[in-house]
Amino acid sequence: MPLWTVEPLLWISNMITRELLKVVDVNIPAPQYVLLKLDAGKPMKGLIPGMFYELRAPSQAGRLFKPISILEVEDHLLSFLIKVIGAGTEAFAHLKAGDGVEALGPLGNGFPSINGRRVLLVSGGAGYPPLAWLKREADEAEFCLHLHGCATADEVFPCDLLYTVDGSQGHKGLVTDSVESLISDHKIDLVLSCGPVPMLAKLTNICIQVEHYVSMEAYMACGIGVCHGCAIPVDSDYKLVCKDGPVFDATRIRWSEL
Amino acid sequence: MKYIESSLGKLKLDSCVTVASGTFGLDYLKLRDADGKLLLPQESLGAYVSKTITYELKAGNPSPRLYETECGLLNSIGLQNPGLKGFLQTDLPILKDALRIPLIVSFSGSSIDEFCEMITAMEPYQEIAGYEVNVSCPNVEKEGIAFGADPDVIHKLVASLAALTDKELIVKLSPSVTDIAQMALAAQEAGASSIALINTLWGMAIDWRTGKAMLSKKVGGYSGRGVKPVALALVYKVAQVVDIPILAMGGIHTWQDALEFIYAGASAVAVGTANFNDPGAPAKIAKGLQEHCKTNNIHIKDLIANLR
Repeated sequence: MPLWTVEPLLWISNMITRELLKVVDVNIPAPQYVLLKLDAGKPMKGLIPGMFYELRAPSQAGRLFKPISILEVEDHLLSFLIKVIGAGTEAFAHLKAGDGVEALGPLGNGFPSINGRRVLLVSGGAGYPPLAWLKREADEAEFCLHLHGCATADEVFPCDLLYTVDGSQGHKGLVTDSVESLISDHKIDLVLSCGPVPMLAKLTNICIQVEHYVSMEAYMACGIGVCHGCAIPVDSDYKLVCKDGPVFDATRIRWSEL
Repeated sequence: MKYIESSLGKLKLDSCVTVASGTFGLDYLKLRDADGKLLLPQESLGAYVSKTITYELKAGNPSPRLYETECGLLNSIGLQNPGLKGFLQTDLPILKDALRIPLIVSFSGSSIDEFCEMITAMEPYQEIAGYEVNVSCPNVEKEGIAFGADPDVIHKLVASLAALTDKELIVKLSPSVTDIAQMALAAQEAGASSIALINTLWGMAIDWRTGKAMLSKKVGGYSGRGVKPVALALVYKVAQVVDIPILAMGGIHTWQDALEFIYAGASAVAVGTANFNDPGAPAKIAKGLQEHCKTNNIHIKDLIANLR
């Protein structure tokens, strides 16, 4: 088990709360995306990029929380960039400042430290938030380059190198296209990624010689390891995205089964 | 909780509210709200029902295992569990240490002999107050519903188990049968001390854009709000024919839902899918029932099967 994995039970007893957080700001930064800023009411210390919250808008009472990765932590403020994929996520777009959002968290393990490392951050589509957060902490790294890929110019967010499938902005092609040469050109020793499964699987094949961690997405119910719904195939077993992850050593995931 | 005390066959319950197998982890008992108060004081529960264990450990089904529909939840977990040995060695001591309320162990086997071997292995443990015999999981091949669709099989199985224990023996039934009352009668005649129902219904979701099933096993178990009317009807039907108490479950989210099941004939209720929506749900339900009964100066026992 990697050193940076924090014992989940400890988390439950010490840090995880379920409470109503106040909406500070709601924005639509791109079509199909909501930027939500919540007031945690106290300074949020010790959070690690890759961690997430289970969030629910008041209109969704009686339905499940949705697992949402943290985009940014500024003292007592938590930001989330949410892709609208169904009723549960769309409800966030209709919130106003002052509304309450039910929040269970913080949850999950988070990415390993980039301190002193030569890092390549690779995000695809809605996988952008944890890598954007890491990029803001790039001072800790010896070298840090953030690549973001998406289908069209509609999903473009700030990054170092942009790829769109239709070529409407940035480089035309997939975010994985130049990873191999970037790794050798910049002597990369750590790749961190989040995005669609085909992208992550392809990246895993490219990063054979380099340490590579991925943040995984899964449909989730409880968020704290009770329901076993978010299991993914890891090693010779299944691991839970909510409690064992969402960040995993990419080589340990059985990609062909996803 | 004075107004909502109840009992199953051999088990006195300080609260008629329990939790459904596999939907409630011990971690829930540690969750706190913003003021630092426990979300769920365990005294609000009459008993704790473990997730179902099987003889051998089960890795569970491939992902995706979960999908939320318009008014319910589809799952295909596949009884992921550490197996009997792993449970007794690792999980049971933790449960014993954490729980101040009766522990009911849910279990399932792939043959009558295996069921018997499991209950024999669990009998010496005083911390186990009773058993829930799961003959109704829709997501596994050899265990679960393979035993729950034939009254003769249920009778043989339950009679074998009843001979091996004096503890509470709950038989959990599936809604996916032609006549659930027959199954319940078979369990009662064979020596079950109470009946639990319903397990999940068969359910499915498909993405119309891609034609892809949302669960890896295509079909899974359906629970949550959408199943409540089905569960109420089946609890009512079973209550008409059996004398042993009924532990009812199926879409209970509020104390009002719970009360409806009591009127239909349940002696106790279990909260399942609602735990995922709100881990504090069982406590709220217990509190709501308690206050309702107090206000109306009635006891929950007086309302059981008191359908008009």
